[in-house]
Amino acid sequence: MAQTIQQPMTFYSRWPKPLAVIADWLTTTDHKKIGIMYLVYSLLMAIVGGAMAGMIRTQLAVPDNTFLRPELYNEILTLHGTIMIFFVAMPALAGFGNYLVPILIGARDMAFPRLNAFSFWLLVPSGILMLASLFVEGGAAAAGWTSYTPLASKQYMATPGVDMWIFSLHLAGLSSILGAVNFIVTTLNMRAPGMRMMEMPLFVWAWFVTATLILVAIPVLSGALTMLLTDRLLGTNFFKISEGGDPLLWQHLFWFFGHPEVYIVILPSFGIISHVLAAFAHKRIFGYPGMVIAIAAIGIVGYLVWAHHMFTTGLSTLSLLLFSAFSMVIAIPTGVKVWSWLATVWGGTIRFTTPMKFALGFVALFILGGMGGIFLANVPLDLSLHDTYFVVGHFHYVFAGGTVVALLAATYFWFPKMTGRFLSEKLGTWVFWLFFLGVLLSFMVMHFLGILGMPRRVYTYRPEFTTLNQLVTAGYGLQLIAGLLLLFDILRTLLRKPARPLPPDPWGVNEVQKTLDWVTASPPPPYNFERTPTPDQWRHAPSAEVAR
Amino acid sequence: MLRQVRSLVPFLAGLGLLAGCRFADPEATTTWLFDPATPIAEAVRQNFWYTASLVAPFLILAEALLIYVIFRFRARPERKPASFHENVKLEIFWTLVPAVTLVMIAVPSFQLLRQITHVPADTELEVQVFGHQFFWRYEYPEYGITLSDEPLVLPANKKVALSFSSVDVIHSWWVPAFGFKQDANPGRVATRWVQVKPGYYKGQCAELCGALHGVMWIEVVALPEEAFRQWVLARKRGEAPSIEELRAMLPNPAIAHQEG
Repeated sequence: MAQTIQQPMTFYSRWPKPLAVIADWLTTTDHKKIGIMYLVYSLLMAIVGGAMAGMIRTQLAVPDNTFLRPELYNEILTLHGTIMIFFVAMPALAGFGNYLVPILIGARDMAFPRLNAFSFWLLVPSGILMLASLFVEGGAAAAGWTSYTPLASKQYMATPGVDMWIFSLHLAGLSSILGAVNFIVTTLNMRAPGMRMMEMPLFVWAWFVTATLILVAIPVLSGALTMLLTDRLLGTNFFKISEGGDPLLWQHLFWFFGHPEVYIVILPSFGIISHVLAAFAHKRIFGYPGMVIAIAAIGIVGYLVWAHHMFTTGLSTLSLLLFSAFSMVIAIPTGVKVWSWLATVWGGTIRFTTPMKFALGFVALFILGGMGGIFLANVPLDLSLHDTYFVVGHFHYVFAGGTVVALLAATYFWFPKMTGRFLSEKLGTWVFWLFFLGVLLSFMVMHFLGILGMPRRVYTYRPEFTTLNQLVTAGYGLQLIAGLLLLFDILRTLLRKPARPLPPDPWGVNEVQKTLDWVTASPPPPYNFERTPTPDQWRHAPSAEVAR
Repeated sequence: MLRQVRSLVPFLAGLGLLAGCRFADPEATTTWLFDPATPIAEAVRQNFWYTASLVAPFLILAEALLIYVIFRFRARPERKPASFHENVKLEIFWTLVPAVTLVMIAVPSFQLLRQITHVPADTELEVQVFGHQFFWRYEYPEYGITLSDEPLVLPANKKVALSFSSVDVIHSWWVPAFGFKQDANPGRVATRWVQVKPGYYKGQCAELCGALHGVMWIEVVALPEEAFRQWVLARKRGEAPSIEELRAMLPNPAIAHQEG
């Protein structure tokens, strides 16, 4: 099938092969190649961010450790958080989104292919700026990924590293905004003729809602960053108390972006999990309309909860009540998703492939992470748990146990589609158990540490916390081995020529799943489909709907 | 896979044991959950177990269903997958039950919140707490006493208003056994109240405030009425009793933090 569509002629078509290939990747506007570049970018950054986590866990392996200076420790924890969110989670999800959304809706490409390439390439200077800030005089930003003022102000953190951090996030934010516009227009305008919104696969719905979140939330971050930047460089007074500014303004603006950001990195993961669970349970998604409503509800209510990150700042009692109530409300649609996933696999014939293991592991860890959220939404408890390791454990269950596990499921699930080869199932089982147990251990113990009185973002701790901290570090070790095994497997698989081409549906799941990613070739040809997909290729037979 | 799941049981039991080890250490930080030292901490502790008792059934049910599904619905050649994919009644049920549970969590939580944020009118002393990079300063306007980078000394069993502010960046004053933390914001004053059992308590800054945030410790000694008056007098004479001397003034210094 791939051969029937001609590659267009380009200026480098007559160049020698390796040069032409490089020129092709550098100039491509093909959503699949851009998607793969996002994923490679994310993987490289995950190595950096993961190494930083390793430095943090090494420092905390014993109390009063001198492995990192206190200043450097704060720089590393700031960059670890920033990199994992902006340069690992978001690009990886954007990568799968870029690759899959046009295919899943039967389109030839994104709505704006060049804008798509621009979105990706913006991330390159952005990432370089972020990493380079570690090496400037004065060091990188060291006020945490939240960069609260006045700590992040010129007065208390004079280093140009903070300015580089701001510029870097400006570029990453612009990249996300342009990407979001692209996703929204693509989803609204590029669906194959006859595909209704309520027929779109859940991954497309999840990305659609995510894109609207990005479009509203990121500009607020960009505005706040600009205010911080002009405070630092031009002498404005947005956050300076002595001049009538207010540091709490920064917190409100930051979290107005920051909480939707949490859903930006978890909603597409929800979509991934829905696909994988249904595929290997050999069943249709349970309660599709409810799932769509839940995604939308999480997106909308997600805007009304930002101040639950600020319960200890001294908000009025009324604000505390309202933000607490809205935060608890989030648990309802989230619960709908969990129950629907359980009902999706219920009664199925489950094949325990590696992606399915990760998807089931996601549900297990996400339930734990979600339950911790109820405690934090409860203000009297949050006043004790806020800014402790309980919070660190909670959001790592949702980020590492949620988003990263979903990304691993997606990697194993769509790797054959993208490359025409399977990753090793045998190694995959190891990767799964090591990573799953590592996450379970590290972040469970963090919850205990928080309850027992250890605050977050500290470079040392009282001796009584030693054993528990060593358990966290041991859990990191398990995750590290899992990551290295995955990296090894990816490289090994890519370097080996596939024995024979894979069929369009290499997992044999499309009979029930009926999504267009399993209709086109593996890997798909340029422009994805030889003929525009027709409704019979994605629409479930009406008979299946009455069989209850 | 069954064996792998079973192996989690000793793993979790081990974690519990290790957490238990902490209680063997008499110098360990006392906490709101295990040794609450104020009425608020006691109420927060009760609210924690109440919340946990409402959350736990959902946690256990969801994880148990997941494990059941994994073993029960494994693909076998003779089995055909079910074809159901909706059940509106079931969906309404699992939307409403959590909603009702959340209301049950929220109502007592909101009542307790009022108790925490509302400083009673009959407080007998006010102490002003100021965050500095990287130590705490305590002012007793009534006595003209200033404690800089020293343990906070409070009268035990008396209602004390604490007002929090900062002279530089944002800090957060946190003594786990008191059942709350409060950010010390520059340019703002927030007031909370405590009524502490006699004893010695440890805490530390809970908001990243710069390089030495991790060692911005807090120590509090709550002295019985007579001992507290003695301390005020000593302080006014210019004496500065050390933490050991302060702890020696407690009714039972060895297990002081467990005293009621």
